[in-house]
Amino acid sequence: MATVYSDPEKSYPAQLLTQRMYGYDQDPFLGYAAYGTYEFGGETSFPSGDNINAPCSIRFPVKSEKDVEGLQLPNPKKAGMLPRAIQFSKLQQQNGTGISVVLGGVFTLAANLCGIEKLCIWLSGEPDIANKLLSTATDHILDVISLWVDEFGTERFIPQLWEPVAANSIISPRHFERFVLPHQKSLHEKILALGVKHILCHACGEQNKNLPYWSQVPMGNPGIVSIGNQVSIKSAIEHFGDTCVIAGNLATELVVGGTAREIYDAAKSCIEDGRKAPRGFILMTACETPPLTPPYNFYVINKAVHDCGQMSE
Amino acid sequence: MAEMEKLREMIINGNGKGIADHVVKLVDRGQTPGSILNDALIPAMDIVGDLYQKGEYFLPELLISARAMQRALDVIKPKLAEQGVKNVGKVVIGTVQGDLHDLGKNLVNMTLEGAGFEVIDLGVDVPPDKFVAAIKEHDPMVVGMSALITTTMPAMKETIEAITSAGLRSKVKIMVGGAPITSEYAVEIGADYYGPDSTDGKNYARDVATGKV
Repeated sequence: MATVYSDPEKSYPAQLLTQRMYGYDQDPFLGYAAYGTYEFGGETSFPSGDNINAPCSIRFPVKSEKDVEGLQLPNPKKAGMLPRAIQFSKLQQQNGTGISVVLGGVFTLAANLCGIEKLCIWLSGEPDIANKLLSTATDHILDVISLWVDEFGTERFIPQLWEPVAANSIISPRHFERFVLPHQKSLHEKILALGVKHILCHACGEQNKNLPYWSQVPMGNPGIVSIGNQVSIKSAIEHFGDTCVIAGNLATELVVGGTAREIYDAAKSCIEDGRKAPRGFILMTACETPPLTPPYNFYVINKAVHDCGQMSE
Repeated sequence: MAEMEKLREMIINGNGKGIADHVVKLVDRGQTPGSILNDALIPAMDIVGDLYQKGEYFLPELLISARAMQRALDVIKPKLAEQGVKNVGKVVIGTVQGDLHDLGKNLVNMTLEGAGFEVIDLGVDVPPDKFVAAIKEHDPMVVGMSALITTTMPAMKETIEAITSAGLRSKVKIMVGGAPITSEYAVEIGADYYGPDSTDGKNYARDVATGKV
């Protein structure tokens, strides 16, 4: 697990072999939800040895309001994991697979700079500080994507923006509308103005009450919106179906621990709902697939795709 | 009493500014620390918890209320100790080995403290033997375990096995929580309770403390 994040030269081919062995379509990529902490000078714990944890922020670069005022944008060529991410994308380019960079949505990136609890308290008590941090997060994401566009062009490049922290299990739709939407919308408009054709946005977790706001965020033509199992595919189609490919949403707990019949039925159900998406549907897990998932469960998902996954003429 | 009602409202609205002074004023006017805790702080945090469960409050509202409550609690804590007022019960809590996430655990921690429990927070990435040692040292009525990711769920089972092997299982109730955890999983690993959120965890601990379970 450690090598997935630490060594692109090993991670890329290992992911390619895994992809071929299990028969899924997602090209190799490098990314994790705790992105940003390390890049801004904080500390992120990466898995090591037998540890199969995901990377996790353990020391945030922003500890006070004063830190927000003095926060500098890092150099995207040198900061944290980004040199390894560039190396990884060079391998994507050389091998003809999709080119990606994984970043947070603006709220998740801001939370990775100061911690979720502090950011939430600032939303209520120090809105200017919260907005300043969100602006910095927005600028950084744009800096990184601009670099990728310069280095790799736009033809095969799809930036991935993962947004678990703005879920309604954490913030209200009112706060989403006030704090997240303006920054996220502005960010996407600027990304698309760079010539990027498609943005993959992972609206992770419970986001039902945010969907009307997410639907105001341009994602490209088409964009790709992936959803957690807390949001129904039907809802996602209602909000994004005209402009985006919908991706989702097999519950990770089910994929790692369900019976073959349960997983097959759930995958079939996703496919049946997803085939109604006018711009297309991608069957995927609701979040990152747990590394302890039994291989047979992948076979069951593939079987559901082969049995039921033909799109209509 | 209007001043006690004001204190409750300050907590419910997350208004921490001036709350410490207000509590001092209440004490000066003869309100006992026990009454401030039991008649204002705990009922106010119960309302906050209910609003959170109903989806009217979200994490920011919960956090600023908990912060206000903590400021009030800081004033009366020494006085509670002086007067020998006992806490509702003792809970040992931690994020299990391999998992470094602390948000869920911290929420449960704050909610329990707001309900009058003494919480021994073991932190994150807590190995099974540390849970065992903490049970021996603190003699809690409840042990809480948190895990955010699927890969660390097995550590909950290992911790319960370690508690059982140490002969301590019958002495404590065990509650588990975290994004990938389900009530079925809790049963499977031998936990007593699965709490989907911090308020449920607090309610379960309160049921244990009052002998309902």
